[in-house]
Amino acid sequence: MTEATPGLFATLRPWLVHLGRRRRRLLAGAALMLLALAAALGLLALSGWFITATALAGLVLAAGGAITLDVYVPGGGIRAFALTRTVARYVERLYNHDTVLRLLADLRGHMFAVLVDLDNASLSRRRASDWLNRLTADIDTLDSLFLRLLAPALVALLAILGLSALLTVWAPSAGLAVGLVLGLAWCWLTIGQARWGLAASRRRVAELERLRGRVIEHLSGMAELESHGALAEQRRRLDAIEARLRVDQSCLGRLAALGSALAGMAVGLAWLLALWLGAQLWAAEALSGPLMVMMPLAVLAMSEALMALPMAFTQFGATQAAAERLNALEAARHPVSVSPAGPLPSQGALSVSLERVGLRYPGALTAVLDDFSLQLAAGERLVLCGPSGIGKSSVAALIAGQIVPDSGRVCLGGIEIEHFEAQALRRRLALLTQNSELFDDSLAANLRLGDPEASDERLWDLLDEVELGQWAGGLPHGLATRVGEGGRRLSGGQARRLVLARLMLRDPGLVILDEPFTGLDATTAQRLAERLDAWLAGRTVIYLSHRHDDEAMPLPGVTRTIDLTAHIGSPLCATGQNLSG
Amino acid sequence: MKGETPRAWLAGLARTERRHLTLAVIAGTAAGLLTIAQMATLAWLVTSMLIEGAEPSSLAAGFAVLVAMIVLRALAQWGQESAGLTASLRVRARARRELLDHLERLGPVGLADHHSASLANRVVDQVEALDGYIARFLPQMRLAVAIPLVILGVVVWLDWLAALFLLLAAPLIPLFMALVGMGAERLNREQFDTVSRLSRHFIDRVRGITTLQLFGAGERATREVHAAADDYRRRSMRTLRLAFLSSAVLEFFAAVAIAVVAIYVGFGLLGYIGFGPADELTLFSGLLVLLLAPEFFQPLRTLSQHYHDRAAALGAAEGMVALLDEIPPRSDEAPLPCRSDALVELEAVTVSYPERGRVLGPLDLTVRSGEILGVSGPSGVGKSSLLQLMAGFIAPASGRHRAAPDLRVAWMDQRPLLIHGSLADNLRLAAPEADEAALRDALWRVGLGELLEALPDGLATPLGERGVGLSGGQAHRLALARIFLSPAPLVLLDEPTASLDDDSEARVLEALSALVEQGRTLVIASHRPAPLALATRRLSLGLEGAHEQGVLEEAMHD
Repeated sequence: MTEATPGLFATLRPWLVHLGRRRRRLLAGAALMLLALAAALGLLALSGWFITATALAGLVLAAGGAITLDVYVPGGGIRAFALTRTVARYVERLYNHDTVLRLLADLRGHMFAVLVDLDNASLSRRRASDWLNRLTADIDTLDSLFLRLLAPALVALLAILGLSALLTVWAPSAGLAVGLVLGLAWCWLTIGQARWGLAASRRRVAELERLRGRVIEHLSGMAELESHGALAEQRRRLDAIEARLRVDQSCLGRLAALGSALAGMAVGLAWLLALWLGAQLWAAEALSGPLMVMMPLAVLAMSEALMALPMAFTQFGATQAAAERLNALEAARHPVSVSPAGPLPSQGALSVSLERVGLRYPGALTAVLDDFSLQLAAGERLVLCGPSGIGKSSVAALIAGQIVPDSGRVCLGGIEIEHFEAQALRRRLALLTQNSELFDDSLAANLRLGDPEASDERLWDLLDEVELGQWAGGLPHGLATRVGEGGRRLSGGQARRLVLARLMLRDPGLVILDEPFTGLDATTAQRLAERLDAWLAGRTVIYLSHRHDDEAMPLPGVTRTIDLTAHIGSPLCATGQNLSG
Repeated sequence: MKGETPRAWLAGLARTERRHLTLAVIAGTAAGLLTIAQMATLAWLVTSMLIEGAEPSSLAAGFAVLVAMIVLRALAQWGQESAGLTASLRVRARARRELLDHLERLGPVGLADHHSASLANRVVDQVEALDGYIARFLPQMRLAVAIPLVILGVVVWLDWLAALFLLLAAPLIPLFMALVGMGAERLNREQFDTVSRLSRHFIDRVRGITTLQLFGAGERATREVHAAADDYRRRSMRTLRLAFLSSAVLEFFAAVAIAVVAIYVGFGLLGYIGFGPADELTLFSGLLVLLLAPEFFQPLRTLSQHYHDRAAALGAAEGMVALLDEIPPRSDEAPLPCRSDALVELEAVTVSYPERGRVLGPLDLTVRSGEILGVSGPSGVGKSSLLQLMAGFIAPASGRHRAAPDLRVAWMDQRPLLIHGSLADNLRLAAPEADEAALRDALWRVGLGELLEALPDGLATPLGERGVGLSGGQAHRLALARIFLSPAPLVLLDEPTASLDDDSEARVLEALSALVEQGRTLVIASHRPAPLALATRRLSLGLEGAHEQGVLEEAMHD
C-alpha cells in the first residue's frame, strides 16, 4: 500500500514482510484475479464490437454490397472469454482461499512464537479470555489484509492502467481521459476512503471492546448492581457507549455508501467520456464504428473491479489498529539473552541467591518486592510462607527467569540468570505453579511435556507413583484419554496428581513447588509427600505456602522456613494479577 | 416470545424497520431502472451516429441526459445503502435492548449457568452479525426478483427469442439460489465448527503458555499450532471446492448468456438466422439486449455475495432466541408485606431449579432487625439459594416470602464487582450522591484508609481493567465499603471470605463488625468458622431428607 504517512507503513511493514514470504502464491493469486477481470472486460467489449460490426456489415449486405466479415474468430473469442471468465473466477477463489489459509497458519504460528517469548509480567496482565479472543480476531483481521485490501486494490490499479493503455492504441484522448477519471476514483476509493474512515473505524473497534467490557461487568456484577439500585445507572453508561458506537458505525456506513456511489459514478462518467471522445474521432473518420462501441463497453466492465474497494478500505483503521496491537506484543518480547558467562552445571543441586531485588509490576499501586535478599545453598529445602499477594509467586517467577527484576541480581549456581540461555535454564529448573495447568489433549501428551521421549511404561510407572495408575488403567482409552479444556474432565485432585507426575518426569537441579498438594486430602498428600521426597533427593527445593502447617501440607525434608510477612512488612500488596484469575 | 423460531424473530425485527427497508428497495429499483435507461440511451446514441450518421455534436443533449442519469443512479445507490444502514442500526439497537432487558429480568440466578464472556459475545458481537442481513441481504432479495423481471420485459419487447435465452435461465434462478444458499449454509456451518475447533486449540495453548515456557516446550507447541492451522486449511479446502461450485454455476450462466446473446444478435444482424424475430434485429435492439444481459444476472450475483450474511444472522439469531426463551426464575410481583415488624418472614418456602429439583426447604425463618444470622451447612444444601430468595433474585417454588415494605437489601458475594473506573466511581455505585468525605470515611472503616493515603491520585485512582492493582482482600473490603455507603438495612453476604487468606479474612470480619455497630442486619452464609463466629443466631442447613428443616439455635455469643 502506498498510504502516505510513514507511521502507517512502519505499522504494516512487518506484516507485509510476512506476506512477502508467500510472494509467489500472492502474485499468482492476483494474476488470476486480473485474468478473470480481463476476461469479463474482453467478453463485453468484444461482444459490443462484434454486434456493431455485424450490424454495419448487415446494412451493406442489405443494400446489395459485398463485404467479408470473419464471424468465426470473434465468435470463438467471445466463447473463449466466457469460458475463461468462469474458470478463472472459480480457480481464483479456490487458490486465493488456500493462500489465505496458509497465511493464517503462518501468522498464528508466528504470533504464538512471539507469545512464547513474552515474560510472565506481560502475560499475566493479559490472562482474561476476552483478550485471547481479541488476539485471534486481530490475527484474522491481518490475515485478510491480502484478500480484502492489497489484492483488489492492486488488481484494480493494474486493470485501470492496462485498459487506458489499450484504449490509447486506438484513441489516445479516450485512453487518457478514462485513465484520469478511473485513476482519481481509485485514489479516492483506497487512500481517500481509508483516510476518512480511519478515525471512526479505529474508534469503532475500541468502542466495541469497551461495550464488551461493560456488558461483562453488568452481567457478572448484576447481584451487587441490582441490590445497590445501580442497574439503571450502569445501563445508562452502557447505552452511552452504544450511542457513540452507533454514531461511528453510521458515519462509516455512510462513507462506504458514498464510496460505492462514487465508484459507480466514476465508471459511468468514464464510459461516457470514452463514448464522447470516440465519437469525435469517429466523426473525424479516425476510428471505426465497432471500435467506437467497444471502448465504452470495455470501461463498463470495470465496475466489477472497483465496487469492492470502498467497503474494505473504509474499515482500514481496524486493520491498522490490529497490526499496532500485535506489533506492541512483538515489541514486548524478551531481549535476546547476552552471551553466556559460564555454563550452568548440567547435574546436581543448584544454589540460589537473590541480592537486593526490587520489583514493581507496571500499573500496580505499590512495589511487590523492595530490597529483598535471599541465599540458598545447593541441596537446601526452604519454605517461603506468607499470605497470598505477599510476593511468593513473584520470587518464584524471578528465580525461574519469567520476570526480570527492576533492580538487584538473581543468581543460580553463582551466575546471574540473565546470562543463561532460556532453554538451558528451563532444563535445570522446574516450577510447579499453584494452578494445575493442563492442555486439551491426551493424558500422555500432557505428561510428555515433562519428557517428550518418555516411553509408555515410564508414564504408567509415574501414574502409579501419584496413585492415578489404577484410575487411568480403567479408562477405555487409557493414556489416550483426553482431559478436556484446562483439564476440566478431571477432578482437582486428579489434575494436581497429574501435574506432579509430569514434574517428576524431569531431572532439574532446582525445584520450586507452589502449594504442591492443594486439592488433595491429608492422607493422600502424606503418601505422595514420601514419594516426592525420594525424587527431591539431590535437588535444591523451594516450597511456597500460605502457612507452614505440617498436618495439612506435609512438605518433606524442610531445612529452613522464611516468613515473608516479616521480611516485606505490611501486606499492602499489589500482585498485578487479575482478580478473576 | 416462547417457541419463536430464529427466522420468525428476525422477520419480526425486520418488520419494525419496514419503512427504511422499503425505502432501500425503492432506491435500489430506481437505480436498476436508471441502469436500463442508461443502456437504452447508450444504444440509441450509438445507433443515431453509426446508422443514421448523426454528428456527435448534434447529440449533445443525449450525452447530457446520460450524465444526469449517471449522477441520479449514484444518488439512488447511495440512498439504497443509507436506508439499509439506518434500518440495520436501529434493528441492532433494538435487539441489544431486548437482550439486555431480558438478561436483567433473568437476574443473577437466571444468569448463573452462563459464562458472562459468552453472554457479552451475544449481546455485542452476535448482534453486530445481524448487520449484513438487514442492511444488504433483505433489500437485495426483493431486488433480485424485481430487476430481472423488468429487464426481461424490456428484452421481450426488443426480441422475444433473445428473451427466451434469458428466460431459459430464469426457472433455474430459484435453483441457483437454493444451490448457492445450500452451499453457503453448509460452508458456514462447517467453517464455523472447524474455526471454533482451531480457535479452541489456539486459545488452550495460549492460556497455558507459562507452563509451556517452564517446560521449554514453546518451540514444539509453535510447530503444533502451525500444524493444526495447516490441517484446518486442508480440511476446509475440501468443502470450499464444492461450495464455490454453486457460485461458479451462476457465473457460468451469466457469462454464457452474454456470449449466446452476442453471437445470436451478431448472426441475426448479418441475416444468417432465418426464423423468429431475428430479421427484425437492429443495432439498437441488438446492442441493448447485449447490454442488458449482464444486468439481468447482476442482482442475483450480488445476492449470492450477501448470502453468508444471512447464514451469519440466522446463526446469531438462534443463540439469541434461545436466550430470550429462558424463563426468569423470579416473579415480577413484590413480596407480601410482613405480618410482624421483622425484616423478612419465610413460611414453608422451598426453592427448586428445573434441572436440579428442590435445593432448599420447606423452611420457616424470620429475620429480625439488628440480628446477625449465620447460615452454615455442607455445600449444595441451599445456603446461597436462601440468600438469593431473600434478595428477590429467585421466587419460592412454594410457601410464602414476606418482606418489610420497600425493604432495601445490600448484597456481597465471593467475587466482588469492580467496574472500570476510579476508586470513587466504584464506591458511588451504592450511593451516587455521596460526597468525597463520605467515600473516605467508608474506606477508613473497612481498613483501606492507609491504602488511600498511599495513592497519589487518591479517590481518582483508576482501578484498571478488572481491578488490576488490588489484591483479593482489598477488593472484598472495597465491596464492603460500598455497603457502608448504601442505606440498605439488610445485608446479605454469600461466602464473603471464601477466597481469602486468614489475614485478609480477619480484616474483612473487622469491617463487618463495624457494620453491625451501625445497627444493620446481617445474614452471612459461609462454611468457614470465622465469619460464623460473628453470628448472634445460627441456622444450620442439613442434607438429610427432603423435608429437612433448618435447625435454629441461639449461638453462644456475648
